[in-house]
Amino acid sequence: MSDRIPINAFDMSCIMHQSPGLWARPEDQSVRYKDLAYWTELAQLLERGKFDSLFIADVLGVYDTYQGSRDASVRRAMQIPVHDPVVPVSAMAAATEKLGFGITVSATYEQPYALARRFGTLDHLTGGRIAWNIVTSYLDGAARNLGMDKQMSHDDRYDLADEVVDVCYQLWEGSWEDDAVLEDREAQIYADPEKVHEIGHKGRFFSVPGIGLVEPSPQRTPVIWQAGTSSKGRAFAARHAEAVFTVAPTSQVLRTYVDDIRRVAALEGRDPRSLRIFTEVTTVVAPTDAEARAKYEDYLAWTDYEGALAFYAGITGIDLSQLDPHQPLEYVDTDSARFALEIFSKADPDKAWTPHEVAKFVGVGAMGPVIVGSPATVADELERWVEEADITGFNLAYAVTPGTFAEFIEHVIPELQRRGRYWEDYDEGTTLRERLFDQPGHNRVRDDHPAARYRRAAVPA
Amino acid sequence: MPRPIRLNAFDMNCVAHQSPGLWRHPDDRAADYRKLSYWTDLAQLLERGRFDGIFIADVLGIYDVYGGNRDATVRQGTQVPVNDPAMLVSAMAGVTEHLGFGLTASISFEHPYPFARRMSTLDHLTDGRVGWNVVTSYLDSGARNLGQVAQLTHDNRYDVADEYLEVCYKLWEGSWEDDAVLRDRESGVFSDPSKVHGIAHEGEFFSVPGIHLCEPSPQRSPVIYQAGASPRGRQFAAEHAEAVFTAAPTKEQLKEVVGDIRARMRAVGRDPYDARIYTLMTAIVDQTREKAWAKQSEFERFASDEGALVLFSGWMGIDLAEYDLDDPIGEVESNAIQSAVKAFQQADNDGREWKVRDIAAWGGVGGLGPRMVGSAAEVADQMQEWVEYSDVDGFNLAYAITPGTFVDLVEHLIPELQRRGVHPREYAPGTLRERLFGAGPRLPESHPGARYRRGQAALNLAAAA
Repeated sequence: MSDRIPINAFDMSCIMHQSPGLWARPEDQSVRYKDLAYWTELAQLLERGKFDSLFIADVLGVYDTYQGSRDASVRRAMQIPVHDPVVPVSAMAAATEKLGFGITVSATYEQPYALARRFGTLDHLTGGRIAWNIVTSYLDGAARNLGMDKQMSHDDRYDLADEVVDVCYQLWEGSWEDDAVLEDREAQIYADPEKVHEIGHKGRFFSVPGIGLVEPSPQRTPVIWQAGTSSKGRAFAARHAEAVFTVAPTSQVLRTYVDDIRRVAALEGRDPRSLRIFTEVTTVVAPTDAEARAKYEDYLAWTDYEGALAFYAGITGIDLSQLDPHQPLEYVDTDSARFALEIFSKADPDKAWTPHEVAKFVGVGAMGPVIVGSPATVADELERWVEEADITGFNLAYAVTPGTFAEFIEHVIPELQRRGRYWEDYDEGTTLRERLFDQPGHNRVRDDHPAARYRRAAVPA
Repeated sequence: MPRPIRLNAFDMNCVAHQSPGLWRHPDDRAADYRKLSYWTDLAQLLERGRFDGIFIADVLGIYDVYGGNRDATVRQGTQVPVNDPAMLVSAMAGVTEHLGFGLTASISFEHPYPFARRMSTLDHLTDGRVGWNVVTSYLDSGARNLGQVAQLTHDNRYDVADEYLEVCYKLWEGSWEDDAVLRDRESGVFSDPSKVHGIAHEGEFFSVPGIHLCEPSPQRSPVIYQAGASPRGRQFAAEHAEAVFTAAPTKEQLKEVVGDIRARMRAVGRDPYDARIYTLMTAIVDQTREKAWAKQSEFERFASDEGALVLFSGWMGIDLAEYDLDDPIGEVESNAIQSAVKAFQQADNDGREWKVRDIAAWGGVGGLGPRMVGSAAEVADQMQEWVEYSDVDGFNLAYAITPGTFVDLVEHLIPELQRRGVHPREYAPGTLRERLFGAGPRLPESHPGARYRRGQAALNLAAAA
C-alpha cells in the first residue's frame, strides 16, 4: 500500500522521556522500564497495532545545564536513570514476529569492530528486524565519563561518526560473500575461507584489518536511521540515513528541513525520494474533541516545571532557571532568553512566551507537536503533516505509557484504515527494510546507498 | 551428608565451541546459534535440570595460529563466526525464572562507563540473575581490530583489569545509596539527588567523575566470574571472583588448582568458600553404560582433527599445522603443549607416547576438559568422587552435541543426582548470588567491591568491621 502512513512508537529505557512529570500519574507505567515484561507487553501491543517498529532513544549522560547541576534531572527522573536500550531487544523479538526495533547508539564512543558485531547479532536474532539510529553524543557529561576531557567539536564528531559507520559497512557488506557459508556437513566445511575477506581498513581514527565476525544476516546492514537537525547532522543523514527522524514545531518548519535533506541526498548521488522521513508527534485522543481537550488539560496539570526546564536546558544549552516563571522572554535581555524565544516563536509567534509557557509546551511531547482531538481530528492532522511537510510517517511519543499507544491503536488506526492510509495487516515481508520501502524482497541497502559499494558479489534481486 | 554438586552449562554464541566437527552430527543444533529459539529452548531445558546457570564464552577475534592464518578456523567454524553473547540474555530471561546467565566480556571491548550500564540493565531486566565473566586477555587478532597494535603485556593487563573493576564497583555499589530512589508520585520526586553521588574516579587508565546512569539493581554488582589459569589470573580470581572456572584433566591436578585458589582467597582476607569453583567437563550419559560408550564413539567419528588443532594451536600459541599427525609430541617445541600433554597422558593412563593425532582426539570432544562417559550412576559416582577429592564445587558442563548432551544430562544424570541428594529438586528463591551462597543479593562485606558503598550501607559495613 503506497499511501499508507507508517507509525513507529518512540520510547526510551527510562522514566521521563518526552512528557516531564507525567510519570507520576497513576496510570503511567514508565517506572516499569526496568521490568522485562514492560518491554515485551509494549512490543506485543504495538504489533497488534501493526506499527512498523519501536524506536528507542538513548543518551549516555545526564542533563546538567539547568542551575548548573544534575540535581533537578535526578530529582525528576528526567532521562536519568537510563538503561542500555539494546538489552531488551531479544526478549521483545521473541515475543513478536513482525515488529521492528530501532535502537539508538552513539557513534562517538564505540569501537566499530565490537559495534558491528552487536548489530549483526541482533539482525540474526530478530530475523532482520533491527535498525540503528546513529547519533553523535552531545552531552559534555558523557564525554567526561568516557575519558575525554571535553566533547569533541561538532564537526569532528561527525567525521568520527562517518568513519565508525564506514567501518561497520565494510564489516557487514564486504567481508563475507553471500555464498561464503556452506554448512556442508558431508565435506566438513562450515564456511569457505576464500569467500571471507579481510576489510583492511586504515583510517584517521581506526585501524581494522580483519574479517567480520558475523556471518551474513538477513539485512546485513541494519536499517540506518539518523536523528539530528543541525546542518552537519542533515548532511550526515543525507549521506547515510534510509530513515530520518526529525522534530519540528510546525509542518512549515519541517518542510524546510525535509527539502534540504532531500536536496543534499541528491547531491550525494542518492534518490532523494528514497529517504523515508519521520517526525515526532504526541497525540491525545478521545472520542470527541472536547473530551480530548479535557484530557490534555489534565495532563498539563501534571507537568513538572523543573523537569521540563532541566530537559530543555540539557538539549538546547539554555538555562531559564534564573528567570521569573511568568516574565515574557521578549523583555529579558539575555542570550538564553533570546535563543529560547527564537525557537518557540517558530511554534507560535503570537504567544507571549514565558519560562512557564516553555515548560508547559515541553511538558507534553517535549519539543515536538501535540495533536489533540477526536480520531477524525487527529487523522486529519496527521494527513495534513504528511502532505505539507512531504514526510513518510510518524514517530509517536507518549504522554502516558502505554496509554497513549493503546488509545492511538484503539481510536486513530481504525480511522486511518477507513481512509486507506493504514494497512489492515503487515504484508508478507519479514525484514524491517522490506517494510520501510514497502517492497517485499528488499532486504539489503539500495544500490545508491554508501554501504552498497563494499559488496563483493552481486546480490540476488 | 554427601556434598552437593553444582552444575553450570557452557556454551558460546558460535557454531563449534569445545567439540569441533560435531556441528555436522545430524542431531546437533549448534548451527542454529543465530536463532533465538535455540537459546530460549536451551534456557528452558537447563532450568528444568535446575542448573545454576548458563555460562557463555566469548572471543572478539579469530584463532589464526594454526597454519599461520584463519582459513582452517573459518572452514571448521571453530569459534568464528561468533556473535555477541549479551544480546541473547533478555530473551532467555523472558522464558525462565531462575536460571543464571554468566556473560563473558573482555575489559578491552569498551570503556567501563557504558559497560557498567549494560550490566546494570541486564541485572534489572533479569531480576538479578546475571554474572560477568571478567576476561583480561584477548586474541592478538582481536586486539589489532580494536585499534591496539599489540596485546598489553600479561601483567599490565591485570593492572588495567583491577582499575576497570574498581570503576565498575564504584558505579554499581557507590553511586546510588540504597534509599536514593523515592518514586514519590505525590510530590513528583523520583530520586533524592543528595543520595546520588558522582564517583570522582581519577586513575591511571580511566577518569570517571560522574554518577552511575542506573538506579540500584537487585544484585548491584553482577556475580563476578573468572576463568584465568595463570598465577596472575588466579590471584585476580582470589581477589574478585565469586565463581571460578577451571579446567584440569585429572582430579589430582584439579585438587592442586582448587587448593591454590582457596589459599589465595584466604590470604587476601576472603572466606575461601566465598567463591564457587566449577571445573570444565563433558559428560556423555545415557540409559546404560553401553549406550553411553556407543554414543561417545559416534561423537568421535564426527570430531574434526583440524578443528581441534585450530583451537589447541590458539590456546597454546604454537602452530601444530607444521607437524604431521603421526609426529610424536616430543618433537613439538612448546613448553605449554608439553605440560598440557603430560597432564592429558596422566588422565589417559596407558603409558604410550602421544602423537599430534592424540591431541586432536583429546580436543575433538570437549576441548581442554576431560570427559566422563557412562550410565547416570557411573557418571554420578565419578562426579561425587571428583568433588569429594578435589574440593571443587561442581562442573562447568560443555557439550559434545547441543542440546543433545544437555538433554541426556537432564533426562538421566540430574534425576540420579537428585536421588542421591546432591542436586536440588527445586531452586532456592532469589537472585543468582543468593542461590549460589544462600546469603543476601549483594556482594558480601569481605568482597573488595563492598568498600565503595555509600550511605547507610557504608555505615553498616563500618559497624561490622
